[in-house]
Amino acid sequence: MTRRDFSERDIHMALDGELPVDEHVAYDAWLDANPEMKARGARYVADRAALRAAFAGVLDEPVPARLQKVVFGEAPVKAAVSRSRWWLAAAAAAVLAIGGVGGYVAGIGHFGLEDPAKDQLAEQAIAAHVIYAAEKRHAVEVPASDKDHLQTWLSNRVGLKLVAPDLAAEGFQLVGGRLLPAGENKAAMLLYEDEKGERISLFVTAESAEKAKGTYGSEEGGPEAIYWLDKGYGCAVVGSLPRAQMTAVAKSAYSQLLAGLDS
Amino acid sequence: MDAKKAAILGEIPRLRRYARSLLRDRDSADDLVQDCLERALVRLDNWQTGESPRRWLFTIMHHLFIDQMRKVNRRGEGAMLPLEAGEAQAAPAEQVESIASREIIDALQAISPDRRAALVMVAIEGFSYAEAANILGVPAGTLMSRIARGRDELRGLLDDAARRRAIRIVEK
Repeated sequence: MTRRDFSERDIHMALDGELPVDEHVAYDAWLDANPEMKARGARYVADRAALRAAFAGVLDEPVPARLQKVVFGEAPVKAAVSRSRWWLAAAAAAVLAIGGVGGYVAGIGHFGLEDPAKDQLAEQAIAAHVIYAAEKRHAVEVPASDKDHLQTWLSNRVGLKLVAPDLAAEGFQLVGGRLLPAGENKAAMLLYEDEKGERISLFVTAESAEKAKGTYGSEEGGPEAIYWLDKGYGCAVVGSLPRAQMTAVAKSAYSQLLAGLDS
Repeated sequence: MDAKKAAILGEIPRLRRYARSLLRDRDSADDLVQDCLERALVRLDNWQTGESPRRWLFTIMHHLFIDQMRKVNRRGEGAMLPLEAGEAQAAPAEQVESIASREIIDALQAISPDRRAALVMVAIEGFSYAEAANILGVPAGTLMSRIARGRDELRGLLDDAARRRAIRIVEK
Protein backbone atom coordinates (compact mmCIF):
# COMPACT_ATOMS: atom_id res chain seq x y z
CA MET A 1 0.00 0.00 0.00
CA THR A 2 1.33 3.35 -0.99
CA ARG A 3 1.67 5.84 1.82
CA ARG A 4 1.30 9.48 0.88
CA ASP A 5 -0.77 12.50 1.71
CA PHE A 6 -3.92 12.91 -0.31
CA SER A 7 -5.62 16.18 -1.16
CA GLU A 8 -8.71 17.44 -2.92
CA ARG A 9 -6.84 16.99 -6.17
CA ASP A 10 -6.98 13.25 -5.62
CA ILE A 11 -10.77 13.39 -5.45
CA HIS A 12 -10.80 14.56 -9.03
CA MET A 13 -8.23 12.00 -10.08
CA ALA A 14 -10.17 9.18 -8.44
CA LEU A 15 -13.38 10.35 -10.02
CA ASP A 16 -11.80 10.55 -13.45
CA GLY A 17 -10.11 7.17 -13.21
CA GLU A 18 -6.66 8.72 -13.01
CA LEU A 19 -5.70 7.52 -9.54
CA PRO A 20 -3.20 4.63 -9.75
CA VAL A 21 -4.80 1.33 -8.77
CA ASP A 22 -2.26 0.69 -6.02
CA GLU A 23 -3.31 3.90 -4.27
CA HIS A 24 -7.00 3.08 -4.08
CA VAL A 25 -6.90 1.41 -0.67
CA ALA A 26 -4.97 4.27 0.90
CA TYR A 27 -7.24 6.78 -0.80
CA ASP A 28 -10.37 5.10 0.55
CA ALA A 29 -8.86 5.08 4.04
CA TRP A 30 -8.11 8.79 3.69
CA LEU A 31 -11.71 9.45 2.67
CA ASP A 32 -13.00 7.53 5.67
CA ALA A 33 -10.82 9.64 7.93
CA ASN A 34 -11.97 12.89 6.25
CA PRO A 35 -15.77 13.00 6.12
CA GLU A 36 -15.73 16.42 4.51
CA MET A 37 -13.62 15.19 1.63
CA LYS A 38 -15.73 12.07 1.38
CA ALA A 39 -18.86 14.16 1.08
CA ARG A 40 -17.17 16.33 -1.52
CA GLY A 41 -16.28 13.25 -3.55
CA ALA A 42 -19.81 11.89 -3.32
CA ARG A 43 -21.17 15.26 -4.39
CA TYR A 44 -18.94 15.33 -7.46
CA VAL A 45 -20.04 11.82 -8.36
CA ALA A 46 -23.67 12.95 -8.18
CA ASP A 47 -22.99 16.10 -10.22
CA ARG A 48 -21.26 14.06 -12.87
CA ALA A 49 -24.18 11.64 -13.04
CA ALA A 50 -26.52 14.60 -13.51
CA LEU A 51 -24.29 16.04 -16.22
CA ARG A 52 -24.18 12.77 -18.10
CA ALA A 53 -27.91 12.29 -17.77
CA ALA A 54 -28.59 15.80 -19.06
CA PHE A 55 -26.76 15.12 -22.31
CA ALA A 56 -27.33 11.39 -22.70
CA GLY A 57 -30.34 11.89 -24.95
CA VAL A 58 -28.25 13.64 -27.61
CA LEU A 59 -26.62 10.36 -28.64
CA ASP A 60 -30.03 8.87 -29.43
CA GLU A 61 -31.19 11.76 -31.58
CA PRO A 62 -31.21 11.04 -35.30
CA VAL A 63 -28.26 12.69 -37.02
CA PRO A 64 -29.56 15.75 -38.89
CA ALA A 65 -29.53 15.22 -42.64
CA ARG A 66 -27.50 18.37 -43.21
CA LEU A 67 -24.60 16.90 -41.23
CA GLN A 68 -24.68 13.61 -43.10
CA LYS A 69 -24.71 15.50 -46.37
CA VAL A 70 -21.51 17.29 -45.43
CA VAL A 71 -19.73 13.97 -45.03
CA PHE A 72 -21.14 12.58 -48.26
CA GLY A 73 -20.03 15.72 -50.04
CA GLU A 74 -23.58 16.68 -50.94
CA ALA A 75 -23.89 19.73 -48.76
CA PRO A 76 -24.84 22.93 -50.53
CA VAL A 77 -22.54 25.85 -49.90
CA LYS A 78 -23.74 27.47 -46.74
CA ALA A 79 -24.72 31.07 -46.64
CA ALA A 80 -22.39 33.27 -44.62
CA VAL A 81 -25.19 33.97 -42.20
CA SER A 82 -25.73 30.38 -41.25
CA ARG A 83 -22.02 29.71 -41.05
CA SER A 84 -21.50 32.24 -38.34
CA ARG A 85 -24.65 31.47 -36.44
CA TRP A 86 -23.32 29.16 -33.78
CA TRP A 87 -20.96 31.63 -32.24
CA LEU A 88 -23.78 33.97 -31.39
CA ALA A 89 -24.68 31.43 -28.78
CA ALA A 90 -21.03 31.28 -27.83
CA ALA A 91 -21.09 35.03 -27.31
CA ALA A 92 -24.12 34.71 -25.10
CA ALA A 93 -22.34 32.00 -23.16
CA ALA A 94 -19.34 34.29 -22.73
CA VAL A 95 -21.50 36.98 -21.21
CA LEU A 96 -22.96 34.48 -18.81
CA ALA A 97 -19.52 33.22 -17.88
CA ILE A 98 -18.27 36.74 -17.19
CA GLY A 99 -21.32 37.45 -15.10
CA GLY A 100 -20.57 34.32 -13.16
CA VAL A 101 -17.18 35.48 -11.96
CA GLY A 102 -18.39 37.65 -9.11
CA GLY A 103 -20.46 35.53 -6.79
CA TYR A 104 -22.12 33.40 -9.46
CA VAL A 105 -24.89 34.43 -11.77
CA ALA A 106 -28.04 34.93 -9.81
CA GLY A 107 -31.21 33.65 -11.34
CA ILE A 108 -29.46 31.22 -13.60
CA GLY A 109 -31.34 30.57 -16.78
CA HIS A 110 -32.49 34.09 -17.11
CA PHE A 111 -30.39 36.15 -19.39
CA GLY A 112 -28.87 38.99 -17.46
CA LEU A 113 -27.76 39.57 -13.95
CA GLU A 114 -29.97 39.84 -10.94
CA ASP A 115 -29.43 42.12 -8.03
CA PRO A 116 -29.11 40.34 -4.69
CA ALA A 117 -30.79 43.25 -2.89
CA LYS A 118 -34.00 42.56 -4.77
CA ASP A 119 -33.79 38.85 -4.05
CA GLN A 120 -33.30 39.57 -0.41
CA LEU A 121 -36.23 41.94 -0.07
CA ALA A 122 -38.64 39.64 -1.89
CA GLU A 123 -37.41 36.54 -0.11
CA GLN A 124 -37.74 38.16 3.31
CA ALA A 125 -41.18 39.46 2.43
CA ILE A 126 -42.37 36.07 1.20
CA ALA A 127 -40.91 34.30 4.23
CA ALA A 128 -42.68 36.70 6.59
CA HIS A 129 -45.93 36.30 4.71
CA VAL A 130 -45.73 32.50 4.77
CA ILE A 131 -45.18 32.50 8.52
CA TYR A 132 -47.52 35.21 9.76
CA ALA A 133 -50.37 35.23 7.24
CA ALA A 134 -51.08 31.64 8.25
CA GLU A 135 -51.46 32.61 11.92
CA LYS A 136 -55.07 33.06 12.93
CA ARG A 137 -54.73 34.55 16.39
CA HIS A 138 -51.14 35.81 16.42
CA ALA A 139 -50.76 37.15 12.92
CA VAL A 140 -50.05 40.70 14.11
CA GLU A 141 -48.53 42.41 17.12
CA VAL A 142 -50.66 45.52 16.91
CA PRO A 143 -54.22 45.14 15.61
CA ALA A 144 -55.94 47.50 13.16
CA SER A 145 -58.14 48.77 16.01
CA ASP A 146 -55.01 50.53 17.24
CA LYS A 147 -54.07 51.88 13.82
CA ASP A 148 -52.66 55.23 14.93
CA HIS A 149 -50.32 53.61 17.40
CA LEU A 150 -49.38 50.96 14.84
CA GLN A 151 -48.36 53.60 12.30
CA THR A 152 -46.42 55.72 14.76
CA TRP A 153 -44.64 52.76 16.29
CA LEU A 154 -43.61 51.16 12.96
CA SER A 155 -42.60 54.53 11.50
CA ASN A 156 -40.29 55.17 14.44
CA ARG A 157 -38.75 51.72 14.37
CA VAL A 158 -38.28 51.43 10.62
CA GLY A 159 -37.30 55.05 10.12
CA LEU A 160 -39.88 55.91 7.45
CA LYS A 161 -43.12 57.78 7.66
CA LEU A 162 -45.53 54.90 7.25
CA VAL A 163 -49.18 55.35 6.46
CA ALA A 164 -51.09 52.07 6.21
CA PRO A 165 -52.72 52.09 2.74
CA ASP A 166 -56.50 51.90 2.52
CA LEU A 167 -57.23 48.89 0.33
CA ALA A 168 -61.00 48.80 0.88
CA ALA A 169 -61.58 49.55 -2.79
CA GLU A 170 -59.71 46.34 -3.58
CA GLY A 171 -61.73 44.45 -0.97
CA PHE A 172 -59.03 44.26 1.71
CA GLN A 173 -59.18 45.45 5.31
CA LEU A 174 -56.18 46.05 7.55
CA VAL A 175 -55.69 43.29 10.12
CA GLY A 176 -52.69 44.89 11.82
CA GLY A 177 -48.94 44.94 11.67
CA ARG A 178 -45.71 43.79 13.20
CA LEU A 179 -42.04 44.65 13.36
CA LEU A 180 -39.60 42.23 11.72
CA PRO A 181 -35.85 41.93 11.23
CA ALA A 182 -34.64 42.58 7.70
CA GLY A 183 -30.94 41.82 7.49
CA GLU A 184 -29.30 44.38 9.75
CA ASN A 185 -32.34 46.62 9.55
CA LYS A 186 -35.96 46.49 10.57
CA ALA A 187 -39.00 45.98 8.45
CA ALA A 188 -42.65 46.74 8.93
CA MET A 189 -45.22 44.17 7.93
CA LEU A 190 -48.81 45.19 7.38
CA LEU A 191 -51.36 42.41 7.01
CA TYR A 192 -54.64 42.72 5.10
CA GLU A 193 -57.55 40.36 4.69
CA ASP A 194 -60.56 40.21 2.37
CA GLU A 195 -64.02 38.92 3.29
CA LYS A 196 -63.13 35.39 2.16
CA GLY A 197 -60.16 35.34 4.52
CA GLU A 198 -57.58 35.73 1.75
CA ARG A 199 -54.56 37.58 3.10
CA ILE A 200 -51.92 39.80 1.59
CA SER A 201 -49.06 41.56 3.30
CA LEU A 202 -46.98 44.67 2.77
CA PHE A 203 -43.36 44.52 3.70
CA VAL A 204 -41.49 47.82 3.98
CA THR A 205 -37.86 48.53 4.83
CA ALA A 206 -35.83 51.71 4.89
CA GLU A 207 -32.86 50.06 3.26
CA SER A 208 -32.17 50.28 -0.42
CA ALA A 209 -29.58 51.91 -2.60
CA GLU A 210 -31.06 51.71 -6.06
CA LYS A 211 -34.21 51.72 -8.09
CA ALA A 212 -35.77 48.49 -9.24
CA LYS A 213 -39.09 46.80 -9.50
CA GLY A 214 -40.27 43.35 -10.36
CA THR A 215 -42.26 40.30 -9.46
CA TYR A 216 -41.22 37.20 -7.59
CA GLY A 217 -43.40 34.15 -7.78
CA SER A 218 -43.13 30.58 -6.75
CA GLU A 219 -43.61 27.94 -9.39
CA GLU A 220 -45.77 25.74 -7.23
CA GLY A 221 -48.49 28.30 -6.75
CA GLY A 222 -47.12 29.71 -3.51
CA PRO A 223 -47.25 33.41 -2.73
CA GLU A 224 -45.66 35.89 -5.06
CA ALA A 225 -44.13 39.22 -4.24
CA ILE A 226 -44.38 42.38 -6.27
CA TYR A 227 -41.64 44.70 -5.12
CA TRP A 228 -40.24 48.14 -5.61
CA LEU A 229 -36.89 49.44 -4.51
CA ASP A 230 -36.06 53.10 -4.51
CA LYS A 231 -33.48 55.26 -2.85
CA GLY A 232 -33.94 54.81 0.85
CA TYR A 233 -36.75 52.29 0.95
CA GLY A 234 -37.97 48.98 -0.34
CA CYS A 235 -41.50 47.69 -0.49
CA ALA A 236 -42.94 44.30 -1.36
CA VAL A 237 -46.56 43.26 -1.62
CA VAL A 238 -46.99 39.51 -1.07
CA GLY A 239 -50.00 37.32 -1.71
CA SER A 240 -51.44 34.41 -3.65
CA LEU A 241 -54.04 36.31 -5.64
CA PRO A 242 -54.58 35.92 -9.39
CA ARG A 243 -51.94 37.94 -11.24
CA ALA A 244 -54.20 40.79 -12.41
CA GLN A 245 -55.76 41.28 -8.99
CA MET A 246 -52.38 41.04 -7.33
CA THR A 247 -50.97 43.73 -9.59
CA ALA A 248 -53.94 46.04 -8.99
CA VAL A 249 -53.73 45.68 -5.21
CA ALA A 250 -49.98 46.12 -5.22
CA LYS A 251 -50.13 49.27 -7.31
CA SER A 252 -52.75 50.80 -5.07
CA ALA A 253 -50.80 49.91 -1.94
CA TYR A 254 -47.57 51.23 -3.36
CA SER A 255 -48.95 54.54 -4.55
CA GLN A 256 -50.53 55.14 -1.14
CA LEU A 257 -47.31 54.21 0.66
CA LEU A 258 -45.42 56.64 -1.54
CA ALA A 259 -47.93 59.40 -0.89
CA GLY A 260 -47.65 58.63 2.84
CA LEU A 261 -43.86 58.86 2.80
CA ASP A 262 -44.03 62.36 1.37
CA SER A 263 -46.90 63.59 3.52
CA MET B 1 -18.22 4.89 -49.02
CA ASP B 2 -14.63 4.95 -47.91
CA ALA B 3 -13.57 3.93 -44.43
CA LYS B 4 -12.56 7.42 -43.35
CA LYS B 5 -15.94 8.88 -44.12
CA ALA B 6 -17.67 6.00 -42.39
CA ALA B 7 -15.57 6.61 -39.31
CA ILE B 8 -16.42 10.31 -39.36
CA LEU B 9 -20.13 9.57 -39.71
CA GLY B 10 -19.91 7.31 -36.68
CA GLU B 11 -18.51 10.15 -34.58
CA ILE B 12 -21.28 12.64 -35.34
CA PRO B 13 -23.46 11.74 -32.34
CA ARG B 14 -20.52 12.27 -29.98
CA LEU B 15 -19.56 15.53 -31.68
CA ARG B 16 -23.14 16.74 -31.37
CA ARG B 17 -23.19 15.92 -27.68
CA TYR B 18 -19.94 17.78 -27.06
CA ALA B 19 -21.16 20.78 -29.08
CA ARG B 20 -24.43 20.80 -27.18
CA SER B 21 -22.65 20.90 -23.86
CA LEU B 22 -20.51 23.81 -25.08
CA LEU B 23 -23.29 25.85 -26.66
CA ARG B 24 -26.61 24.61 -25.30
CA ASP B 25 -28.74 25.79 -28.20
CA ARG B 26 -29.38 22.84 -30.49
CA ASP B 27 -29.16 24.59 -33.84
CA SER B 28 -26.06 26.53 -32.85
CA ALA B 29 -24.44 23.31 -31.65
CA ASP B 30 -25.22 21.59 -34.95
CA ASP B 31 -23.81 24.58 -36.83
CA LEU B 32 -20.57 24.11 -34.92
CA VAL B 33 -20.56 20.39 -35.79
CA GLN B 34 -21.19 21.26 -39.42
CA ASP B 35 -18.27 23.71 -39.49
CA CYS B 36 -16.15 21.00 -37.88
CA LEU B 37 -17.14 18.36 -40.45
CA GLU B 38 -16.50 20.72 -43.33
CA ARG B 39 -13.05 21.53 -42.03
CA ALA B 40 -12.35 17.86 -41.41
CA LEU B 41 -13.26 16.87 -44.97
CA VAL B 42 -11.02 19.54 -46.42
CA ARG B 43 -8.17 18.23 -44.30
CA LEU B 44 -8.87 14.56 -44.73
CA ASP B 45 -5.28 14.02 -45.82
CA ASN B 46 -3.98 15.35 -42.51
CA TRP B 47 -5.69 12.56 -40.69
CA GLN B 48 -3.04 9.97 -40.18
CA THR B 49 -3.81 6.29 -40.33
CA GLY B 50 -4.07 4.87 -36.87
CA GLU B 51 -5.07 8.15 -35.26
CA SER B 52 -8.40 7.91 -33.49
CA PRO B 53 -11.08 9.66 -35.56
CA ARG B 54 -12.69 10.78 -32.35
CA ARG B 55 -9.60 12.56 -31.09
CA TRP B 56 -8.91 14.10 -34.46
CA LEU B 57 -12.45 15.44 -34.86
CA PHE B 58 -12.74 16.67 -31.29
CA THR B 59 -9.48 18.57 -31.74
CA ILE B 60 -10.79 20.28 -34.86
CA MET B 61 -14.07 21.18 -33.23
CA HIS B 62 -12.47 22.42 -30.07
CA HIS B 63 -10.19 24.74 -32.01
CA LEU B 64 -13.17 26.16 -33.89
CA PHE B 65 -14.96 26.75 -30.62
CA ILE B 66 -12.07 28.32 -28.73
CA ASP B 67 -10.98 30.53 -31.66
CA GLN B 68 -14.45 31.93 -31.88
CA MET B 69 -14.75 32.46 -28.13
CA ARG B 70 -11.50 34.42 -28.19
CA LYS B 71 -12.68 36.61 -31.04
CA VAL B 72 -15.91 37.23 -29.19
CA ASN B 73 -14.02 38.21 -26.06
CA ARG B 74 -11.67 40.50 -27.93
CA ARG B 75 -14.49 42.36 -29.59
CA GLY B 76 -16.23 43.06 -26.34
CA GLU B 77 -19.03 40.62 -25.92
CA GLY B 78 -21.75 42.92 -24.66
CA ALA B 79 -21.62 45.44 -27.48
CA MET B 80 -21.92 42.98 -30.34
CA LEU B 81 -24.32 40.52 -28.84
CA PRO B 82 -27.50 40.41 -30.88
CA LEU B 83 -30.71 39.99 -28.97
CA GLU B 84 -31.60 36.74 -30.72
CA ALA B 85 -28.54 35.06 -29.31
CA GLY B 86 -29.66 35.76 -25.80
CA GLU B 87 -33.12 34.51 -26.59
CA ALA B 88 -31.80 31.35 -28.15
CA GLN B 89 -29.77 30.88 -25.01
CA ALA B 90 -32.71 31.29 -22.72
CA ALA B 91 -35.12 29.13 -24.66
CA PRO B 92 -33.52 26.06 -26.16
CA ALA B 93 -35.64 24.76 -29.01
CA GLU B 94 -37.62 21.57 -28.64
CA GLN B 95 -35.61 20.31 -25.75
CA VAL B 96 -37.47 18.49 -23.09
CA GLU B 97 -35.47 18.97 -19.95
CA SER B 98 -36.21 18.04 -16.39
CA ILE B 99 -35.63 20.71 -13.79
CA ALA B 100 -32.46 18.95 -12.69
CA SER B 101 -31.17 18.75 -16.25
CA ARG B 102 -32.03 22.34 -16.96
CA GLU B 103 -30.27 23.50 -13.83
CA ILE B 104 -27.10 21.62 -14.55
CA ILE B 105 -27.11 22.69 -18.22
CA ASP B 106 -27.58 26.31 -17.16
CA ALA B 107 -24.82 25.99 -14.60
CA LEU B 108 -22.49 24.46 -17.15
CA GLN B 109 -23.12 27.38 -19.50
CA ALA B 110 -22.23 29.82 -16.75
CA ILE B 111 -18.71 28.57 -16.16
CA SER B 112 -15.86 29.78 -18.35
CA PRO B 113 -15.53 28.11 -21.78
CA ASP B 114 -12.07 26.73 -20.97
CA ARG B 115 -13.24 25.06 -17.79
CA ARG B 116 -16.45 23.88 -19.41
CA ALA B 117 -14.57 22.21 -22.24
CA ALA B 118 -12.08 20.54 -19.89
CA LEU B 119 -14.78 19.25 -17.57
CA VAL B 120 -17.03 17.97 -20.36
CA MET B 121 -14.15 16.23 -22.13
CA VAL B 122 -13.39 14.17 -19.07
CA ALA B 123 -16.69 13.91 -17.22
CA ILE B 124 -19.07 13.35 -20.13
CA GLU B 125 -16.96 12.32 -23.10
CA GLY B 126 -14.79 10.04 -21.01
CA PHE B 127 -11.39 11.09 -22.33
CA SER B 128 -8.37 10.43 -20.13
CA TYR B 129 -6.43 13.42 -18.79
CA ALA B 130 -3.71 12.75 -21.35
CA GLU B 131 -6.16 12.59 -24.24
CA ALA B 132 -8.11 15.63 -23.11
CA ALA B 133 -4.95 17.68 -22.56
CA ASN B 134 -3.82 16.71 -26.04
CA ILE B 135 -7.13 17.66 -27.66
CA LEU B 136 -7.36 20.96 -25.80
CA GLY B 137 -3.69 21.67 -26.41
CA VAL B 138 -2.83 22.43 -22.78
CA PRO B 139 -0.43 20.83 -20.27
CA ALA B 140 -1.93 18.12 -18.03
CA GLY B 141 -1.56 20.34 -14.97
CA THR B 142 -3.58 23.10 -16.60
CA LEU B 143 -6.23 20.60 -17.59
CA MET B 144 -6.45 19.31 -14.04
CA SER B 145 -6.81 22.73 -12.52
CA ARG B 146 -9.50 23.62 -15.05
CA ILE B 147 -11.39 20.46 -14.18
CA ALA B 148 -11.08 21.06 -10.45
CA ARG B 149 -12.15 24.69 -10.71
CA GLY B 150 -14.89 23.82 -13.15
CA ARG B 151 -16.36 21.23 -10.80
CA ASP B 152 -16.13 23.56 -7.84
CA GLU B 153 -17.79 26.37 -9.76
CA LEU B 154 -20.51 24.05 -11.02
CA ARG B 155 -21.19 22.90 -7.48
CA GLY B 156 -21.59 26.48 -6.28
CA LEU B 157 -23.94 27.30 -9.14
CA LEU B 158 -26.06 24.22 -8.49
CA ASP B 159 -26.31 25.07 -4.81
CA ASP B 160 -27.38 28.52 -5.81
CA ALA B 161 -29.98 27.15 -8.20
CA ALA B 162 -31.33 24.76 -5.58
CA ARG B 163 -31.73 27.61 -3.14
CA ARG B 164 -33.73 29.53 -5.67
CA ARG B 165 -35.69 26.67 -7.11
CA ALA B 166 -38.88 27.58 -5.30
CA ILE B 167 -38.64 31.22 -6.12
CA ARG B 168 -38.81 32.12 -9.74
CA ILE B 169 -38.12 35.60 -10.93
CA VAL B 170 -40.37 37.15 -13.51
CA GLU B 171 -39.11 40.61 -14.39
CA LYS B 172 -41.79 43.14 -15.08
